[in-house]
Amino acid sequence: MIQRIFFLLVALFALLTFAGCGKSDSDSGSSTETPTIFKYSTEGAPISMDPVRAATKYANLMVTSIYDTLYEYKYLAPPYELKPRLAAAMPEISDDGLVYTIALKEGVLFADNACFPDGKGREVVAADFVYSFKRMFDPDTLPQGAWLWQGRVKGAMEWRESGTDYSQPLSGVTAVDDYTIRIELTQPYPQLMYTLAMGFSSIVPREAVEHYGKEFGINPVGSGPYMMKDFTTKLAKLVANPNYRDEVFKLAEHGYRPEEHAFTGVERIEGAKLPIMKEVEIHFMAEPVTRWTSFLKGSEVQYATMPLEQRHAVTESVNPLVPKPRYREKYNSMLIPDFGLVMVYINMDDPRIGMHEDPDQNRRNQLLRRAIRKGYDWEDRNNRFLMSAGSYFPGIIIPSLEAFDENLSRDTVTANFEAAKELLKEGGWTAENLPPLEYGAVTSVRSKQYFEQFRGWMEKIGYPTEKVVYRPFPNFGDYSKAVKNKEVMIMPMGWGLDYPDAENLLQLLYGPNESPGSNAANYKNPEYDELFRKAKEMLPGPERTAIYRQLNEMIVEDVPVIVGLMRRRANFWHRNVIMYPSENVHGSVLKYVKVVPESESVQPPQ
Amino acid sequence: METLQYALRKFIYSIPLLFGVTLIAFTLMVYFGPDQTYQFLSKNPTPEEIERVRSELGYDQAFAVRYVQYLGDLATLNLGNSNSSGERVTQILVKHIPVSVALALPGFILSVVLGVSIALIAAFYRGTWVDKGIMVFAVVGMSISFLIVVIAFQIIFCSFYGLNWFPVQGWDVDSVGSYLSHVTVPTMAIVFVALGYNTRFYRAVIVEEMNRDYVRTARAFGASPVKLLFKHVLKNAMIPIITRVIITLPFIVIGGNIIIEKYFSIPGIGQVTLEAIISGDLPIVKAVVALTAVLYVFALILTDISYKMIDPRVSYK
Repeated sequence: MIQRIFFLLVALFALLTFAGCGKSDSDSGSSTETPTIFKYSTEGAPISMDPVRAATKYANLMVTSIYDTLYEYKYLAPPYELKPRLAAAMPEISDDGLVYTIALKEGVLFADNACFPDGKGREVVAADFVYSFKRMFDPDTLPQGAWLWQGRVKGAMEWRESGTDYSQPLSGVTAVDDYTIRIELTQPYPQLMYTLAMGFSSIVPREAVEHYGKEFGINPVGSGPYMMKDFTTKLAKLVANPNYRDEVFKLAEHGYRPEEHAFTGVERIEGAKLPIMKEVEIHFMAEPVTRWTSFLKGSEVQYATMPLEQRHAVTESVNPLVPKPRYREKYNSMLIPDFGLVMVYINMDDPRIGMHEDPDQNRRNQLLRRAIRKGYDWEDRNNRFLMSAGSYFPGIIIPSLEAFDENLSRDTVTANFEAAKELLKEGGWTAENLPPLEYGAVTSVRSKQYFEQFRGWMEKIGYPTEKVVYRPFPNFGDYSKAVKNKEVMIMPMGWGLDYPDAENLLQLLYGPNESPGSNAANYKNPEYDELFRKAKEMLPGPERTAIYRQLNEMIVEDVPVIVGLMRRRANFWHRNVIMYPSENVHGSVLKYVKVVPESESVQPPQ
Repeated sequence: METLQYALRKFIYSIPLLFGVTLIAFTLMVYFGPDQTYQFLSKNPTPEEIERVRSELGYDQAFAVRYVQYLGDLATLNLGNSNSSGERVTQILVKHIPVSVALALPGFILSVVLGVSIALIAAFYRGTWVDKGIMVFAVVGMSISFLIVVIAFQIIFCSFYGLNWFPVQGWDVDSVGSYLSHVTVPTMAIVFVALGYNTRFYRAVIVEEMNRDYVRTARAFGASPVKLLFKHVLKNAMIPIITRVIITLPFIVIGGNIIIEKYFSIPGIGQVTLEAIISGDLPIVKAVVALTAVLYVFALILTDISYKMIDPRVSYK
């Protein structure tokens, strides 16, 4: 009896195993049915969908899908051009650049929700923008985007300091009438328009904030293309907002260029009413293997990032991205650059390596930083961990920005261990007098690998192994606290741009922004600060670009940060999904996605 | 009546335990847990803004004040809202605990039932190739990393490389069919790994019973193997088995299964708790710690009561 059961179990296992070998195709249902759901995936989940806390790209994606902003980026015009969204047109700007008058579209409704009388969404008016803007300056909402307008919008700080009374006006942001907003600035702010396309500036109805209280962050109510149907830590289900205005997609308005976009089939959505899909599922999957396996299955997620470990199995080449024929046939793909960079800050407040009162020591420290940079092998980092798909560049301004200087020498991003040794020698540094290098990071296998690679480079420039020290932090909260308290010497970090202007990068080294601000290097250079102050109020143009480049060169000279590398991810999507993927600041791209029957899939290039 | 009195008495005796557990956990969270301040701040905060957020999070209060407040919240069942999402903690527990229970329970039950059954067989055939074969499989099951089992099962049963029978991820459950499709592979993985541990433990317990005089007497009397194993041996071995089963239950309810939830992208309480610990979301962590402690106390009481039910000779005194 027991023997029989045993052999039965073995036979069943063998049957399951061999049965699996014969099945190779995906389960994608009927090939002619028109799908109604788009299944998107991301590696992270939003914590809150309250616009004032939409600080991550995951939150920004959700917020800009559910809420309206005044402006938005064109779908197909990277590096990013603005167009009106809830605004009726681009703003009227006063000659001195201090007053923006923005007309709103009329007849736009919030989505139906229990927070409204009878559950019917009411019209969006200018007062809603004013209310939403005030929330950004209300400390009780724990806002994370106030820095964008702090000290720049007239009356904002005064409103906050006078007790955040919503019945009191905020002088710089007013509703002229139901359909006109006026924004008054204390100084010219050329980047203002970009901030009005960010999830932070989404327009919320006061009724929803009051109805849901602290839980407003998980009960978003907006006037955007989608409404929240269901939300868990692993999945968000969005459904088309039936109250959404008549918005029709026109290729010409979105910067369509056939040579760049035709491979995605986006010309097929010309004239489509937005949002195109009735339902969108956003699957939050932290585990790359699960995400990729789910993508390949066919019936689950339709968009995913290829994990590093799969590159040999899936691609013939990563950069340029050439999938193997079996993958090329079934999936569209694209290398999508991060709109940001990874870099390594050096704590300039630390006299062992940063600025020093003694000019001689100051000079030696500068040579030490230059030597470390000379030993920092971006190419090795790129090859080892980023599938050689990243691009590294001198200075802090990323290549996709207009101010990027192609003529800047690449010498500072090309490792040369002998040259690094020379720099150490020039500074009088020996194995005995070199300071310990404390490399801070949030503990993980990958951060430890990064550290070991770094230590290997430092050994090659003559740094004693025992003097290159790993300083792990158990979580990002603790790491962040230590950085903000100026306790970390070497700080690997990333920065995602908030808007496509080099000012957003250069402010990272602006003296007054030192820790706990965004200047984690605590770099203080009066000349730099003076130039930055001058440039940040200037309109785009050759003069401003020249100053941006000058600032960039100062960073290269002083080495408060070792820069920089821009990552690119190999993203794949099913061929029956019509989309042009984009990440980071772009926000709501979900409304443009169309899933067609498999029989109508976009054909791979021959 | 006697049982109820006993349960009440045990619960009252357990109150110091609850204090101890909450105090230790709270101390660890306050002094060694992550600081959330900078997660909630704008990019260039002023010292006043930092203080404001610290105050909002309660970091500016004395430890004793915070602990008393915690106990007060527990006593009034006011678990507050998550610092991160703002969602009510009770709502989070209500939403995620049933998922974890539904996910883990089939695997738990099957691994216990199968573990006991196989252990009975192994013990009965002690020293023979059947026993040795079972023990080899048990050791193999114990030796393979759970992570490997999860990934292998996912590839074999869920992916398009394998059988492609079950979903890779998600928890979109609205019918018995969808429940079974989501729970089958995780259950198989849980059983595969737990079976080895269970079988070895239960075999040891049963083998000890098999050496007792009453077993020899029953055999001499001519009792059939089935009767001997199920009526006599199993019944007498129930106390350690029940102890192990009941003590594990609180962790099924509240602990979830972090690896399963992560790799199958299932919104259970295990992942929620882990993320709360990592991010420093104290309201969630505090609630889970308290709930686990209370459930553990109840499990202990239930274990004692079950002893009496299994063996009437056991006294409550």
